[in-house]
Amino acid sequence: MTSFLANEQALEDWLRRQAERHEVYWPQRMGKASYAFQRLRRRSPLRLDRLDDAPASKPFRASACVVPPGRLLAPMQELLYRFEPDDDGGYRFIPCLDPTERLIAGIRPCDLKAIHLMDAVNAEGVPDAHYLTRRAHTTLIASNCLQPCDAHCFCEAAGSLDWREGADVFLTPQADGQQLVECLTPRGEALCADAGFSPCDAPEERRQSAEAHRPQPFGRQFDAPLVKVMAAVDETWDSPVWDKHVERCFSCGTCNLVCPTCYCFDMRDDLDIEHPGCGSRSRCADGCMLPEFAEVAGGHNFRATPAARQRHRVKRKLAYLPTQFADGSFCVGCGRCGHQCTVDIDIFDIANDLAAASEAPHAADD
Amino acid sequence: MKPKIAFFDMASCEGCQLAILDCEDIFLHILDLVEIVEFREALSETAPRFDIAFVEGSIHREMDAERLRSIRARCDWLVSLGACAYNGNVQARSNALAPGENMLRVYGPEAYHRTQTDPHYWPLWAHSRVRPLSQVVAVDYHLRGCPVDREEFLQLLKRRIAGALPRVAAQAVCVECKRAGNECVFEHGDTCLGPVTWAGCNAVCIGGGYRCDGCRGLLPGANLAAHRELLREHGLSEAEIDNRYRLFCAEEVAEATA
Repeated sequence: MTSFLANEQALEDWLRRQAERHEVYWPQRMGKASYAFQRLRRRSPLRLDRLDDAPASKPFRASACVVPPGRLLAPMQELLYRFEPDDDGGYRFIPCLDPTERLIAGIRPCDLKAIHLMDAVNAEGVPDAHYLTRRAHTTLIASNCLQPCDAHCFCEAAGSLDWREGADVFLTPQADGQQLVECLTPRGEALCADAGFSPCDAPEERRQSAEAHRPQPFGRQFDAPLVKVMAAVDETWDSPVWDKHVERCFSCGTCNLVCPTCYCFDMRDDLDIEHPGCGSRSRCADGCMLPEFAEVAGGHNFRATPAARQRHRVKRKLAYLPTQFADGSFCVGCGRCGHQCTVDIDIFDIANDLAAASEAPHAADD
Repeated sequence: MKPKIAFFDMASCEGCQLAILDCEDIFLHILDLVEIVEFREALSETAPRFDIAFVEGSIHREMDAERLRSIRARCDWLVSLGACAYNGNVQARSNALAPGENMLRVYGPEAYHRTQTDPHYWPLWAHSRVRPLSQVVAVDYHLRGCPVDREEFLQLLKRRIAGALPRVAAQAVCVECKRAGNECVFEHGDTCLGPVTWAGCNAVCIGGGYRCDGCRGLLPGANLAAHRELLREHGLSEAEIDNRYRLFCAEEVAEATA
């Protein structure tokens, strides 16, 4: 695959040119301290990473981006299909698929891994046509991380800092102020073909020399290796750790809804008031921390307590889904759930506590 | 035959009925589905019986309670329309005070003294407590909020006519904030009742740049102890916290902490 070097201005101009042809999304400041992936408009600010960025001047941060970029492929709420009476007394169903050409840029490696995992989830079993249609028409441009996003970041510990798979183009800032542009797929290749960037012969060395500027350790580290943490989460059922971390929990579902690998949804049917007999089915993001998530007909709730729901959430990320799919932890260490939680409940702390408890001398007796 | 529906108001600003009238762009379609037989704010007719009664407002005097019982007796299905009817809304704040004390605070000593001397004056004010509808009669469905959300009203109407009910999830406003991609109110330095408040409003106030003051009422099982602590950490005094809860949820907080 081809690689290029581009100066900052050339790369910015190239991205802005793409925005004239497709919907281009770029992480933009929102509110006081947050980011949102929004359409890149003529006047939208666009600032690329630089090699000498101090931690505080990192231009966009995964955990401060409330809604992860993968939600552009699986929107928080979406119409699945419409229905209307047909001539034979039945119904006609009209699927709502979205083949808009999109380009999402500014994706951090943690969110890139999350999209890769969601690709697998949505292709498995009954393929999710809504997700897969959007995905087929979406180009991903990822930005390497040379600084942790903030104090919540633990992507290195979760094994996603060096994730590149799924990106069509991968950007790494260089010492000379240029950007290394690595095309990783034919689609990325085609996108950069007429960009006018200078070819680069040794992308691997260039990327690695930039990555040598990363602080050591990079972000928070578990007290045990990831495999041991995951094993502890997998093996722990009854534990005071689950209760400890829900004392302040509101069961508000924020941790689920901001998570780049949460994909559960709730469905709803609507009837049109203007057109009798017609209506639609839509879905919206749901979350297993919400009190009614596991409630079934008759009122029984399989996970009635916050601790039971927390256990389920953590096990989904670090035990259940990693068992079902390859590619390791479904927690990508972006730090969103901990950052966005109003009472600082953090999956990093929960996992770390579970690992510590399983290492404790009497753990075998539990 | 189209179901007959009727609207009534107790102690309220009648803003919820206005929110219903705000459906004017599709009102004719609504009238294809139902027949409105009583609605003081929109028509002069009255009716002896109706299928669905929408009652706005809280119950203050015994005569209001009697009227509500009569409405209940004349309908199959009764819906509380808005925060006043659902949980007593802002007026339930007065439940924390003796009626005389309340009178003195709001209308001053002259009015207060008149209650002692004028037999026709006092009964106007002498209610023992502000009650939501459900403390007087059985309520079949609640439309929460100050005011109600017109979409939620339409959903209910469409579902009820189709023989079903809309699912209103018992979940916090935070859910709708995240779905909308809003920055958390706590993130920009203000405090918010969203984590303990019934969703259903699509986080409209936060999306508009404000915060949640809890007009849809306290969520069942809300973690108030943790929420109090969170508000304290963000610099609110105990009195300020009480005030925030009492604004829209006075009656519920009184019950939750009784």
